[in-house]
Amino acid sequence: MPEAADMINLGFLSDSEREMILEVLRRDEGLRQAEEQRVRKLKTELLDVKRKGAKRGSGRYSQQCCGRCLEPLSRLTIFSSQCKMCNHHVCRNCRTVFPNGSWLCSVCDKESDLKKMTGDWFYDQRVNRFSTTPGYDLVSVSLKKRPPLKKRQTAGEVLLKSNETKADSQTPVPRPRLKNPAEKNSHSSEISGSLASRESFDSKEDVCSRPVHSDTESAENGSIGSNKTQTESQHVSPEQPRRKAGSAESSPSGSSVSSLTVPVKAEIVVTDSDNPETKDTKEVKPVNPSPELDIDRIFKKSVRRAQRPPEYISTMDLRDGHEKPEASMGYRSRSVPGLDVQEDEEEEEDIDSLVSFHKRSMASSSSSLHTSKSTLGSLRSIYSEAGDYDSVDVSGDLVFSTSYDEPTHSLRVLIKECHGLAYADASRQLSNPYVKCYLLPDKSRQSKRKTSIKRNTINPVYNETLKYSVSRSQLYTRSVLISVWHHGRLSRNTFLGEVEIALDCRDLDSPYEERVALMAKTASSVPASVFAQYKGELVISLKYVTPKKPITEKFKGKKTAAEEGGQLHVLVKEARSLTAMKTGGTSDSFVKGYLFPTKAKTSKRKTPVVKKNLNPHYDHTFVYKDVALEQLKAMCLELTVWDREALLSNEFLGGVRLSSGKGTVKIAKEEVEMDSVGEEVSLWEKMMLYPDSWAEGTLPLRSTMGKTEGK
Amino acid sequence: MFIAVITMTDGDYDYLIKLLALGDSGVGKTTFLYRYTDNKFNPKFITTVGIDFREKRVVYTASNPNGMTTGKTFKVHLQLWDTAGQERFRSLTTAFFRDAMGFLLMFDLTSQQSFLNVRNWMSQLQANAYCENPDIVLVGNKADLADQREVQEKQAKELADKYGIPYFETSAATGAEVDKAVITLLDLVMKRMEQCVDKPPAEPANGNGATKLGEAQPNEKKCAC
Repeated sequence: MPEAADMINLGFLSDSEREMILEVLRRDEGLRQAEEQRVRKLKTELLDVKRKGAKRGSGRYSQQCCGRCLEPLSRLTIFSSQCKMCNHHVCRNCRTVFPNGSWLCSVCDKESDLKKMTGDWFYDQRVNRFSTTPGYDLVSVSLKKRPPLKKRQTAGEVLLKSNETKADSQTPVPRPRLKNPAEKNSHSSEISGSLASRESFDSKEDVCSRPVHSDTESAENGSIGSNKTQTESQHVSPEQPRRKAGSAESSPSGSSVSSLTVPVKAEIVVTDSDNPETKDTKEVKPVNPSPELDIDRIFKKSVRRAQRPPEYISTMDLRDGHEKPEASMGYRSRSVPGLDVQEDEEEEEDIDSLVSFHKRSMASSSSSLHTSKSTLGSLRSIYSEAGDYDSVDVSGDLVFSTSYDEPTHSLRVLIKECHGLAYADASRQLSNPYVKCYLLPDKSRQSKRKTSIKRNTINPVYNETLKYSVSRSQLYTRSVLISVWHHGRLSRNTFLGEVEIALDCRDLDSPYEERVALMAKTASSVPASVFAQYKGELVISLKYVTPKKPITEKFKGKKTAAEEGGQLHVLVKEARSLTAMKTGGTSDSFVKGYLFPTKAKTSKRKTPVVKKNLNPHYDHTFVYKDVALEQLKAMCLELTVWDREALLSNEFLGGVRLSSGKGTVKIAKEEVEMDSVGEEVSLWEKMMLYPDSWAEGTLPLRSTMGKTEGK
Repeated sequence: MFIAVITMTDGDYDYLIKLLALGDSGVGKTTFLYRYTDNKFNPKFITTVGIDFREKRVVYTASNPNGMTTGKTFKVHLQLWDTAGQERFRSLTTAFFRDAMGFLLMFDLTSQQSFLNVRNWMSQLQANAYCENPDIVLVGNKADLADQREVQEKQAKELADKYGIPYFETSAATGAEVDKAVITLLDLVMKRMEQCVDKPPAEPANGNGATKLGEAQPNEKKCAC
C-alpha cells in the first residue's frame, strides 16, 4: 500500500501520456462498477440463504434438530452430522457434498462460494500482507493522515481519483473534466466502443452524485415526494432545536404547519379531487375544515412543542400501547444512540439523542425505520403503521408493473387496478380503496407514495404511476411494499391487503404487467434476523495491547500487571455499501463506539464524519485504557454507523456487536444478552488470543441493534 | 447507449480474475495479450504508456484436486493488465502489481538481457504483489524467431524450476502456446482460490488428493488467509 500513496504523482508524464493512462483507468472504472454491482447482488443472495437457516453463531439450541431447516435429526446420524466449518449439526438435505466425499452445510458452502466469487479470498490476503508492513503499526493519531486503506481498492482507483481531482483543481487552464480530450485519443476502433460505455458510466455517475438530479426531476414533475420532503425538512429543521417549550403558537409555526401538509399532496402523481385531504391542502389554508386534519394539526403541534422529554414520551405512549411485542427494543436500543447518562455533557449530542430516542421508540412501536420526520406526517399513516387500523379477511388481487426510467433515474411503479377487494364494511358493502407504496427498507414518509382514493368500489382502476428517484444500482437490495387500504372518512382506515416485491430479480427494462394476489400482513413484520437486511459492512481491526513492563514474562505478568495498563485499540477502517440516506444517494457517516459494561463516562468514542460517501474511510482508532484481558471476555463492544444529520436526528445505518457471544452484559441498568454471532465472535476471540497483534475483520452490519428475535 | 454498457461491462460472469503481464520493454507483452484476446498479431512496436488492459471472457471447467473434471463450468471474466517495460514507468507499473491475482512474467527468447532481468522482476513481484509467493508463469516469447535465439530452453526451464513455476515458450506471431500459458496461469489462480477458501474439505480423509496437489505446485505454500 505505501506505493499507492507515492505513485499518485504522475508529474513525470507528459500531458498526452497522462491522458492515455487516465483513459485506461476510466475503462477500468467501468469494469469495477459492474463488478461492485455483481458483488452486492451476490451478498444479498447469501443473506437469503442465511435467513432460511435458523441457527447461527452461539449455538444455544438442542442438538436434536438440524441447524438449518430445524427438522429433527435422527439419533444415529448425530455423530456424523456436524458441519466442519460452523459446527452445527445439519441434516442431509442441508448439505453440499463435494466430489471427494466431504461436505459442508449449505450456508457455509454458500459463504465460501461467495468468498471466491467476490474475490474476497484475494483481497483478504492482500490486506493481511500490507497491513503488516512496518510503519503501518504506528496506529493512533498518525493514521488519520495516512492515505485511506480500503480492502477492495485498486491502484487504478486511487490513481484515477487523485488525478481527476487534481486536474479539476490544480491545472491552471480549466479542462472540461478531462473527458473530451481523452475521447479524441481513441485511435483504434475497438477502444472507442469501450470509450462510449465509459462515457455513459461517467455521465451517469455525475448525475447521481449531484443534487442537480433532483432539480431536473422537479422541473419535470413537481410532485415527487422526496423532493418535497427535502424542502420540508429544510424548512422545519432549523427552528426545531432552538424552539423552547410552549412557543408553538407563534406565527412561524403556523406557517410551517400549512407548508407541512403540502407533501401529502405531493405524493400523489395523479391527484384525485375525491380525496378530501388533497383538496384541502392544495389551497394551503391556515384553517382547515376537515375534522381529521384538525386532529392532525393538534398532534403536530404537540409534537413540536414537546421538546422536553416527558411530553415526548407521552406522545410516544399513545402508540406504544398499540403494539406490545417489541416495546422493550426501544428501551434497549437506548444504549445505542446513547441516551446514557454520559451524554449529558454534550449539548449538541443531547438533542440528537433525544430525538433519536424518540425515533427509536417510534421504530420499535411500528417495527419500521421511522424517521423523526414521520411525526410530522399524516397522523393516519403513523397510526396505521403502529397497528391502529381495522383489518378484514384479505381477498382480491393487484395489477401493477415496475420499470426504471433511465433519463430521470427513477423507479416507476404503475398501479393499474385491483380486482375483488374485500369490503371494509361488510354490512354496508363498502370500500373506498387506495394504494400505498413504500420502497423498503425505508418505511419513513419519504418513501411513502399513495394513489388517489376510489369511492365505493372493490374493483378500483387507478392507472397511476408512483415514482422514486433512486439510482439503479441501489435497487438490487430493495423491495417495494404495496398495500391497499380502505379510506375511512370518519372512522379508522382498514387494511385490505399487501404484497412485497423484491426488485433484485425483476427485469426493470421491459415493464410487464403483473397480477398478484394480495396477502394479509405477515405476522413477522419484524425481520427474523438482525442481519436480514443487507446494510453493508464495517472493516475494523482490534488489538489488545499488553502493558509494557513484563514482556518476557507475559504469561504470568498478565494477571497482575495487566490489570492496570492494558489497552484495547479499535481501528475503525472503513465501511462499505452503506445505505444512502441523503438525496443524491450519499450519506455523511461516522462511527460511534461503546465498550460495555461502562465503567466511566469515557466509553463513548466517535470517528470524524466522512461526507458524501457510501464507502467511507474513517481510519480512526478508539483506545480504551485500563482494561485487563480477563475483563474483555465479559465485555461487549458496540460499533454503530450513523448518518450525520445537521440539526436533525442522526440516522442509524447499521452496527456490529463484538463479544464472546455468551452471557449477558449490563447496559443502562439492564441485563442484555451478548448476541454476537459469527465473525463478531471470532474476531473478538482472535483479538484476545493474540495480544499485541491486529485482528482484522469485515463484519456485516446489523440492521438493528435490538435483540434478536426468536432465540 | 445504456444497452451498450450492459453488453460491455455487464456482471454476467462468475469470477473476475485479474492477471498482469510484466517483463522488460520490447519482449512482446502487448502483442502477446493482443494475440490472446483478439487472436491477431501486430508486428509494429508501439511502446506501452504506463499501463493498459485487455479483457476476455472464458469458460473455466473446474477440476478437483485429483485432476478430474467435476463438470462444473464457470464464466470467467479475465482482466489482463499490460504494463510498460520501460524503466521510467516503473513506479507506476509496480503499483499495479498488488491488484493482480496472477502474473505472466515475460522475457524475449532473442534477448539474453531480458532473460537475466527475470530475476529482478521476480523480486519486484515478491515485494509488491498481494502475497510473497503469488502464482506466476514464466513466458519466453518470440519462439518463432529461431535463428535469433539467445536463450536456450534448458536454461529457462532451470530457472523456472528453481522458482517452482511453469514455463512456456510462446510466439505472439504464430500464436503458439499463448493460450496455454494464460490458461495454465488461470488454473493456478483458481486452484489457489479453492485452497484459500475450502480449508476443511481439503483436509479430510483422502490424503492422496493433497499430495497430488503438492506435486502440481511444488512450492505450494501455506495460504495466508
